[in-house]
Amino acid sequence: MSGDADMNFQSRIDDHDSGNFAAPPGPIEQVRYACALGALASVVAVRGAIPITHCGPGCATKQFQALSSISGYQGGEFHVPSTNIGNNEVIFGGADRLNELITSTLKVMEAELYVVQSGCIPGLVGDDVANLVNGYRRRGVPIVFAETLGYRGNNYTGHETVVRAILDQYVANDDGPAPQTRHGLVNVWAALPYQNPFWRGDLAEIRRILEGIGLEVNILFGPASQGLDEWRAIPSAQLNIVLSPWLGLSVARRLEEVYNQPVLHEPAIPIGARATGAFLRRVGEAVGIETAKVEAFIAREERDYYNYLRDFAHFYAGCTSQYRLPSEINVVSDSAYALAIAKFFVADLGLNPGVFVITENPPESARDSIRAAFRNLAPDIDGEPIFEADGYRARDLITRKARVGEYPILFGSTWEAATAKEIGAPLVEISYPATDEVVIARSYVGYRGALQLLERTYTTVVRQSTEENPETAAL
Amino acid sequence: MAINLRTTQAETREQRLGTITQWQGRAEDLARDSAFTYGCARDCGTGGRPLCGLSSPYSQASMCAEQIAVTNATIIRDSVVIQHAPIGCASSQSSTSRYSRDLAARRGWKPEDPRSICTNMGEQDMVFGGVDRLAETIRQAFERHRPRVIFVAASCATGIIGDDIDGTSRELEDELGIPIVPLHCEGFKSRHWSSGWDVIEHGILRRLVPNRPTEKRDDLLNVIHLGGPDVFSPLVNPLGLKVNLVMGGNSLERLADLSIATATVTMCFVLSYLATGLEQEYGVPDIRAPLPYGLAATDDWLRDIARVTNREHLVEAVIAAERARIAPELQRLRKALTGKKGFVAAGAAFAHGLIANLRELGVEVDDAFSYHHDPSTDSGDPQQDSLGHLVETSGDIANFTVSPDQHFQAHAALKRAKPDFVICRHSGTMAILAGRLGIPVLPIFYSNDGLGYEGLITIGRGILRVLPRRRFYEDVAAHSRFPYQKWWLEETNPYALASEDVA
Repeated sequence: MSGDADMNFQSRIDDHDSGNFAAPPGPIEQVRYACALGALASVVAVRGAIPITHCGPGCATKQFQALSSISGYQGGEFHVPSTNIGNNEVIFGGADRLNELITSTLKVMEAELYVVQSGCIPGLVGDDVANLVNGYRRRGVPIVFAETLGYRGNNYTGHETVVRAILDQYVANDDGPAPQTRHGLVNVWAALPYQNPFWRGDLAEIRRILEGIGLEVNILFGPASQGLDEWRAIPSAQLNIVLSPWLGLSVARRLEEVYNQPVLHEPAIPIGARATGAFLRRVGEAVGIETAKVEAFIAREERDYYNYLRDFAHFYAGCTSQYRLPSEINVVSDSAYALAIAKFFVADLGLNPGVFVITENPPESARDSIRAAFRNLAPDIDGEPIFEADGYRARDLITRKARVGEYPILFGSTWEAATAKEIGAPLVEISYPATDEVVIARSYVGYRGALQLLERTYTTVVRQSTEENPETAAL
Repeated sequence: MAINLRTTQAETREQRLGTITQWQGRAEDLARDSAFTYGCARDCGTGGRPLCGLSSPYSQASMCAEQIAVTNATIIRDSVVIQHAPIGCASSQSSTSRYSRDLAARRGWKPEDPRSICTNMGEQDMVFGGVDRLAETIRQAFERHRPRVIFVAASCATGIIGDDIDGTSRELEDELGIPIVPLHCEGFKSRHWSSGWDVIEHGILRRLVPNRPTEKRDDLLNVIHLGGPDVFSPLVNPLGLKVNLVMGGNSLERLADLSIATATVTMCFVLSYLATGLEQEYGVPDIRAPLPYGLAATDDWLRDIARVTNREHLVEAVIAAERARIAPELQRLRKALTGKKGFVAAGAAFAHGLIANLRELGVEVDDAFSYHHDPSTDSGDPQQDSLGHLVETSGDIANFTVSPDQHFQAHAALKRAKPDFVICRHSGTMAILAGRLGIPVLPIFYSNDGLGYEGLITIGRGILRVLPRRRFYEDVAAHSRFPYQKWWLEETNPYALASEDVA
């Protein structure tokens, strides 16, 4: 890529939406996301990349511990370099200390890419981190800078900042030949790593189904990804698939401008055969894969899926007289999972929509399209998302809903335990923080993930019924 | 050194105690040099030679004082903690809540989510200040939960922009009529997270311990601990003493009783601030005997409690009964563990205690990792020199590393030690590292596990439970590696990169 193109890309990058993030006015109880620095989790999720954090001594650890260690007990490679800023750097500036840290990091750590991230303190004392990092890059070090000041955004917007930094300062800087479009190669922008406890399994399933119809996939994050090889191949892709109501969309739009790559925006991650088949057909059409190939894969998957669903129908129809099968779905989650799960349970399982609380404080500009995506969850059945990041008010929204004859179920985070108890609903942990779930490779999307979601959901229903009705258990 | 309760801010440990976070060498050298820092009652004269730490150009993400202060404020019952901070500081809420619920179950309290609220500061607050937002949040906290106390924790950001949390707390206290206690725990202010203990203890001393000079109780013993189940009552009840268990989760009533107790024991001298303050302000004697890790130390600790509380006639029977009770199991554990090589990683006095336990169980300990080092305690009493006591009673530790939970240094230290198992606190870095290196690990979540006679049994059994897991850890170790350069993967000197700290 030539220097001009580089400049061009950079100038476009500068006007991104994430900078417009404003903290919501009210206090937040039961926090459901990390700060922008928390996007270091996204860097950890890229094989071969290491974050270098310029922040206070507890900042990086807190974010990763919250996103990974305690939520789903996901683990992850956290031995992240940090300046651990002290008094000295606050008073005299921290650029020298960061310089020392970067130099020693290069000596001690081994990585293909280093992502320098700054937190609140350097933002407030005015360290010129960009200039420092540029100096290293000019000397040929694979290093980029993402300004992830904690007071300027959350880990969703921070994720976009980090992704853009890698695209702009690393991918676009590639000295290789100009990218040639590779037919059948797609970039996927889905699932916020670690924030969504099931991201690893979900990305693996998304990769599997896309490969199933004959595509090559840059899944970009997690164990299902080839790491930075995939990132370097981003400009060669034929299509960007965004699987989220808004996250990643601005990244894809930018790639569209710079590399002329079209965007397929799928607000709802597909769960279950209906949604997944429809999704694969749209992808096939957008990429121009022969229909027969797509249909053959769908048919094979559906044969398996509906075999399992047929057997599950025994439970869902007959073996259930003693269990209270939920009839109304309530979700407290970020928009991506809330939408996907609501659609699946309303459209495919026949539940009625309840309360949908969207917790990630999405940018104002994205809210109308999120509302639109909740319309027609099933034909003529609309959901009404409510945007609320504060847990105290989220609880009110769920518990104050009038319910006549419904058996509610709640999909949410550990914070929803008290809420679920109050309305007598089983709680399935699907969103951050999920401290009562151990998650390894489980997925809740696509074909296989849908079946695992059903297993988890109805195991929870059975256990809750058993606990609350000991006489049933004794039968 | 007197503790200054006139100001809202606690002096940092570095200032008060000369705390360092980086050092390595023989434990006996560290103990000797520590004693010279402030002088002591032995052969050190008046001191004045500050202990020098090392300094490393490379460092990894650590932990901050705010997390300690906020966690321990949050688990006080009937409180609301307000983190006056951008949202990221409040990321710890979920792990604090897990801790709190678990603690409640172990202490027989109603398990419920603790109450903490973040003011959720944004860029506009950095420019215009956030005290209005703070005042509004305090009002909402009161409205929502009707707490009996509200803590207001500062953050790096509010410290730098200079929000007056003291002033706002005072104003709202007048308005709402409950104590509103500011916690000055900005992460950048101290090199070590354990300063957070001082911050919360400072807040408690200043605001939550009323002076009740006419209500003294000679049967009440303050026990200041890091957290966990009450393992103390079984030990001191036979002496006719009731335990007033504080820190690590307690009610406001427990705190209010601190000043009327007959004496105070501190179960980890890292928390020595509170006991020193109670003696200074209310004349509650601070029992300074070495901590009860191992048989002899536990005997002496009980004897000292009995002496200070005038119960010497009861104590020998208790000691004899306890020793007899655990003897058969102790023998079994010693037999199983003798000759094993252990590696201890924990914070200062707690690390020293675990080493004593392991040695009592027959385990060899030549390598240890301490997350920081206090050359002194707040009392300044050499009796509380837990490292010196350890070296004196059970011998030197050849490779003693002080490091604030640095993964790369722990990696080198474990490469050097090649232990049969690791026992550690702060399970974050060290436990995972040990496991990934193929070494069985016993992470101690509740630090009371190692205390007293029963502590030997608890720790010994815990080790025996984890040893067979080597089969799992070795499998993982053989199939994964850490992203260090080859030379560092082979390095066995944790401070190979370091230079003498000029500070």
